[in-house]
Amino acid sequence: MNEVQLSDAIASCSKISVLLIEDEPETAEHMAVGLESRGFRVEAVQDGAAGLERALAGTFDVIIVDRMLPKLDGLTLVQCLRDAQVQTPVLFVTAMGTVADRVSGLERGGDDYLVKPFSFAELGARVGALARRAPAPLRERTVLQCGDLTLLRLERSARRGGVDLALLPLEYKLLEYLMLNADRVVTRTMLLENVWGFHFDPRTNIVETHISRLRGKIDLPGTLPLITTLRGIGYCIRTEPA
Amino acid sequence: MRSGAANRLMRNAGARLALIQMVIVVTAFLLAGYLTQVAIRRLEQGEIREHVQGEAASLRDEIRQKGIGHLPYTVAKRTRLWRGFEYRLVSRQGVLLAGRLPDPGVVGWTELDGVPSHHGEPDHRFLVLTETLFNGSRLSVGQDMAIAAGQTAAVNRILLLCGLLGTVFCLATSFLFTRQAWRRIAQVSSAAQQVTEGQLSQRVPVRRTRQPDDIDDLGVTFNAMLDRIGALIGQLRQVTTDIAHDMRTPLTRLRNKIERLQSDARPHPPLARAIGDLDDDVGEILRTFDALLQLAEIETHNGVMAFAPVDLGNIALDVAEAFRPDIEASGRHLQASGEAWLVAADSALLTQVCANLLENALRHTPSGTTIQVRVEREGQGARLLVADDGPGVNPEDRQEALKPFVRLDRSRTTKGSGLGLSIVAAIAARHGARLELGDARPGLRVALAFPVAVWAGPKAPEPGVPGAPLSL
Repeated sequence: MNEVQLSDAIASCSKISVLLIEDEPETAEHMAVGLESRGFRVEAVQDGAAGLERALAGTFDVIIVDRMLPKLDGLTLVQCLRDAQVQTPVLFVTAMGTVADRVSGLERGGDDYLVKPFSFAELGARVGALARRAPAPLRERTVLQCGDLTLLRLERSARRGGVDLALLPLEYKLLEYLMLNADRVVTRTMLLENVWGFHFDPRTNIVETHISRLRGKIDLPGTLPLITTLRGIGYCIRTEPA
Repeated sequence: MRSGAANRLMRNAGARLALIQMVIVVTAFLLAGYLTQVAIRRLEQGEIREHVQGEAASLRDEIRQKGIGHLPYTVAKRTRLWRGFEYRLVSRQGVLLAGRLPDPGVVGWTELDGVPSHHGEPDHRFLVLTETLFNGSRLSVGQDMAIAAGQTAAVNRILLLCGLLGTVFCLATSFLFTRQAWRRIAQVSSAAQQVTEGQLSQRVPVRRTRQPDDIDDLGVTFNAMLDRIGALIGQLRQVTTDIAHDMRTPLTRLRNKIERLQSDARPHPPLARAIGDLDDDVGEILRTFDALLQLAEIETHNGVMAFAPVDLGNIALDVAEAFRPDIEASGRHLQASGEAWLVAADSALLTQVCANLLENALRHTPSGTTIQVRVEREGQGARLLVADDGPGVNPEDRQEALKPFVRLDRSRTTKGSGLGLSIVAAIAARHGARLELGDARPGLRVALAFPVAVWAGPKAPEPGVPGAPLSL
């Protein structure tokens, strides 16, 4: 379907290589298949020691590490990597989903944290976001641009085609996050974590209602819609609206 | 303050025991003193009686030896030489023949007051024996009872001194003996207190001694209990982690398979819908599961949670604003105000508290309800209030509502695991905050009160957007 093709296209702009360190064979296989179907190139290893060896030797765009691994646990592995000055982005995948676990994972050098079970879409979006993480200059840019939508970060204001948009602080924050990740899929969970700081799932339509309000404000009469919904996956803002 | 200290001292079992002991000792001494005094007095009276009788007999002997005519001289002589007695000899006609005693008035034994002593002190009491002699004259012989009274006083003084010494001795020994015991019991008590506050590694110091006493036994037993509790909690945590790992892995596979099926089933919409429902069900199971694991984690956490000062008002406003579109789209109203109070807390957990309470209000009230979120001062601290003017909760159901899996609508038809408020309660307990479900007249009012808070105002009217640009 159209939506899936779009997400796959977004993820597979270039072949992203992923090192997958996961000891549970069936899960590893599912993850590899899921990632490959989204255009990632996957190399899988089964234990921590082999994982560290591959991670140090090869050049990968993203490393996916399970927290609990035989021979060498995920935390130590990432610590070793960082000590060896390997800065490849690391996504922790784990069954341990408490706040303390999350914090310790990120403190030891992980870049993102995904709790099992997750959907392929979520995994794909996270890996995509990490692999093509906006380079520092973009992140520090004071003006962000998507089509005729301009975000002035110093003034914390937005403008579309010369018209000033009256955004609430939260709407601004949401738009900023989307624009920093322009042309990439941003999942509902990523928004909850990064915009609202919710590391749990509120069973309400917070994200949906906020996005719809934001759309109402940025899509002026006669302009192209900027935010695309990828049903069951997330949202995406395009730099060049189709 | 002093009465407080006294109160505390009286609550101390050792001090109470020492006091009771002291009262018993003093009472015993008083009783013994009284009995001794009575006995001594009786003895002394008997002795004086014997002396007086002996003196009277000696005078009778004089009469037999030298004739009654000589008696006035003998009496006068004995008065002058003073052998410890006073006399009175009166002729048949009532003329005083010799001696200094006043008239006793009766024959036989009597006690006379107001007699000057040998040394000229007035008002002594004498025990007097008066006899009528064969020629009709009356002879009285008396002895000063003050001599005995002096002895009694001396005995009393000694008794009093012994009593005082005994009391002091009792207090000192009980203090010395129990001080050590008090101190050790206080150690047990403070260890128990720390464990209650979550420092599970705390233990009671136990003396290394060959002859352990009952307090040593108490400490050993107490420590064994703590070891056991620690082991149980460790097991619980291990089981929790194992369940998490062992169940999440197959659930992940299940979810992935469903996801693949879903994409395969796209050409067949009814099938795709059915698979979508399946996915929702799995999602529901996972959420309940996550909530349970989180509850277990918060409840068994070892007390080393790093709490930093966080702005309660700011968090409440942020969460309220996050929920605002949802609340308003559902036909409800939201009023939010938050004073900037800093409390020691974990900000992720506080965020969750606010979200759970708002979700709860959103789920259990009818359309048209106004939901209020407020952060305000309370005593030395601050509290978060989430209130609605919906149907509320019966007072008898309020405690019930905090228990896991309890949903007050018996049919269990509303969505949700029934764990939201339990998690709020667990987070409150973890932070040492007080959670209260009350009446908002009408509606439910939930208050989370932190005992200590620091004012962080003045505050901008707009709820917070952090100043730094977002980083990914």
